Amino acid sequence: MTAPTAPARTRTFVQALTEALDLMMAEDENVYLLGEDIGRMGGDFGVTRGLFEKYGAERVRDTPLSEAAIVGTAVGSAMVGMRPVAEIMFADFLGECYDQLVNNAAKLHYMFDGQFKAPIVVRTACGGGFGGGPHHSQSVEGWFLNVPGLVIVGPATPADAKGLLVASIADDNPVLFLEHKALYRVKGPVPEGKYAVPLRQAAVSRPGRDLTIVAYLKMTPEALAAAEVLAKDGIEAEVIDLRTLRPWDTDTVLSSVRRTGRAVVASEAPRMGGLAADVSATIAEECWSDLKAPVGRVGALDTPIPFSLVLEKIILPGRDQIVQAARQVLGAQPVA
Amino acid sequence: MPLDLEQLLDLYRDMWLVRAFEFGLEREFKKGTVPGMLHTGVGQEATQAALAAHLEKTDCFFPDHRCHGLNALAQERHAGTGQRIMAELFGRATGVCGGKGGSLHSADPSVGNFGDNAVEGSFMATVLGVALAWKMRRQPRVACCVIGDGTVGRGEFHESLNLAATWKLPVLYACVNNGYAISTPVGEAHASANIVDLARGYGLPCVQVDGNDIELAYAAVEQAVAHIRAGHGPYFLEFKTWRWQGLFSGEFRPAAEVRYWKDEHDPLKLARQKILATGRAAEAAVDQIEAEAKAQIERWIQFAIASPMPGSEKATANVYVGWEAASR
Ligand SMILES: Cc1ncc(C[n+]2csc(CCOP(=O)(O)OP(=O)(O)O)c2C)c(N)n1
Ligand SMILES: [Mg+2]
Repeated sequence: MTAPTAPARTRTFVQALTEALDLMMAEDENVYLLGEDIGRMGGDFGVTRGLFEKYGAERVRDTPLSEAAIVGTAVGSAMVGMRPVAEIMFADFLGECYDQLVNNAAKLHYMFDGQFKAPIVVRTACGGGFGGGPHHSQSVEGWFLNVPGLVIVGPATPADAKGLLVASIADDNPVLFLEHKALYRVKGPVPEGKYAVPLRQAAVSRPGRDLTIVAYLKMTPEALAAAEVLAKDGIEAEVIDLRTLRPWDTDTVLSSVRRTGRAVVASEAPRMGGLAADVSATIAEECWSDLKAPVGRVGALDTPIPFSLVLEKIILPGRDQIVQAARQVLGAQPVA
Repeated sequence: MPLDLEQLLDLYRDMWLVRAFEFGLEREFKKGTVPGMLHTGVGQEATQAALAAHLEKTDCFFPDHRCHGLNALAQERHAGTGQRIMAELFGRATGVCGGKGGSLHSADPSVGNFGDNAVEGSFMATVLGVALAWKMRRQPRVACCVIGDGTVGRGEFHESLNLAATWKLPVLYACVNNGYAISTPVGEAHASANIVDLARGYGLPCVQVDGNDIELAYAAVEQAVAHIRAGHGPYFLEFKTWRWQGLFSGEFRPAAEVRYWKDEHDPLKLARQKILATGRAAEAAVDQIEAEAKAQIERWIQFAIASPMPGSEKATANVYVGWEAASR
């Protein structure tokens, strides 16, 4: 169960996720789903569509608005061998089950000295850009970054969505699986059958020699679009998609930056305390002598996310901010 | 049905084990040999002994912060290694969690102990999952969580009761109402001073019992466990009791109240009276039980003190399953 062997078909991001759930449920009866309106309705975004009919109400389990109980149930059942996949409708509601994820799922293997594990996956829809307002648009990975024991995954393509979800369900650690709402309808090639995209392994989404752009989730397509713009000026940007956000793949990122000597790190979250800060700091620490310019960092403005699309556009970063940061990094004088 | 003498004597010994455990621990804590924080279950021994008597090692319980005694009884009954709970509280390698959990995070799934969570009551959510898994596998087991009167203020209390009742899960809620959450009287913090009143709306059986009367407590747990094992869904038990430990810094409760619970309604004194009232046990034999329990606890303390500290490699072990912790 690693690399795909079957040919790829075109599927949406949502369909790719459904395929992963279906495959894992068919193979292992310990895999079950729980969350709000995931049964007959198939989930707010349709990720569990068709699974209720196929697997029944026991394994595709509707819950009330009880986020702590949803994740608590997942954790408890995982302690006795189940492999639950919980859906939290919007990532913004992770505050309601923060304690279960941070103080329970992420710690019980450690604090009980290996006697328990919590192989849970918590899937959730994150990200903005659609007028969802302050409570349906946030990028939440920063809330969880300094929690040892937790794995955070964030796919950017349909193929990765499927392979990473398969890998997350198979993994014995608790996984927070972030799905960016703006990517749900994106189509792309998705191999048939079961395959896993390994956790903790970034992808080089586009090779290049002049600068490294590190991105994830929705910022990956934005970075690829930025690379197109830069290419028109003869600048070859390498785009790295982190895919696993915690622990992130330092090897792939650092070896790229050592080669290009320049880096931009892009995230949709506010810059303060975010993943881009950690990646930037690590590059600065590890690649100091290879860097020809200070690391550029792209993120949201330090505000909540407003409802008005006009205002939201001011807050959230995209292709243009990445291009701008890249030009700044490219124009900077060498450090030494 | 009253307990026979044999059962009473067994439970009396268990209750003394709990009390001696806590007294021994308090003494060591004052000496500085036990790190961290200490919440004891002195005064609540009957409740803990009644629970321990009915929970099998294939069941599970989530103990709260006053459950050293319950943990030790389960450990001793199912594995014969009660001393490993003591060693855990001393932070030693021989403890049930190798010293990484301590007083507030002791667990050993092989005896049904699924671990305390020092975020009080979080396991009211977690217990649902264990119960759900067993229900899905048609295993007639009991998933128990022990919660204090103060802890029922958590939102998880309501999420948990609602789902356990809706899904008919095999959960035993063992609510230890000792009258206070740290300094806050139960009646001032909740809509009712009787927690069963809060639970009843969820449509599960809710029973309040004198948690200091070992016979009543034992029978109540017996009935609850039978109900759950028969597949009838969750059960809520409220034990009315009282903890001897006041605030960490000292006593704050009215003298008459203290006198009542310590002198007139002490679970150990009550049990002793019951035993002697049978007319079939000599006072010396009953004293002997107490002395043996105390001696056993001293051996456990010696075991803990003689045990090695955890090796430094343990500091970064088991952060992730199958991966090394990040080195930076
Ligand atoms: C969620 C949470 N809030 C607060 C605390 C701090 N705290 C520890 S014990 C306690 C009181 C608990 O009271 P109760 O549930 O009645 O248990 P008791 O100590 O009386 O046995 C508090 C507030 C905590 N550990 N967890
Ligand atoms: Mg209390």
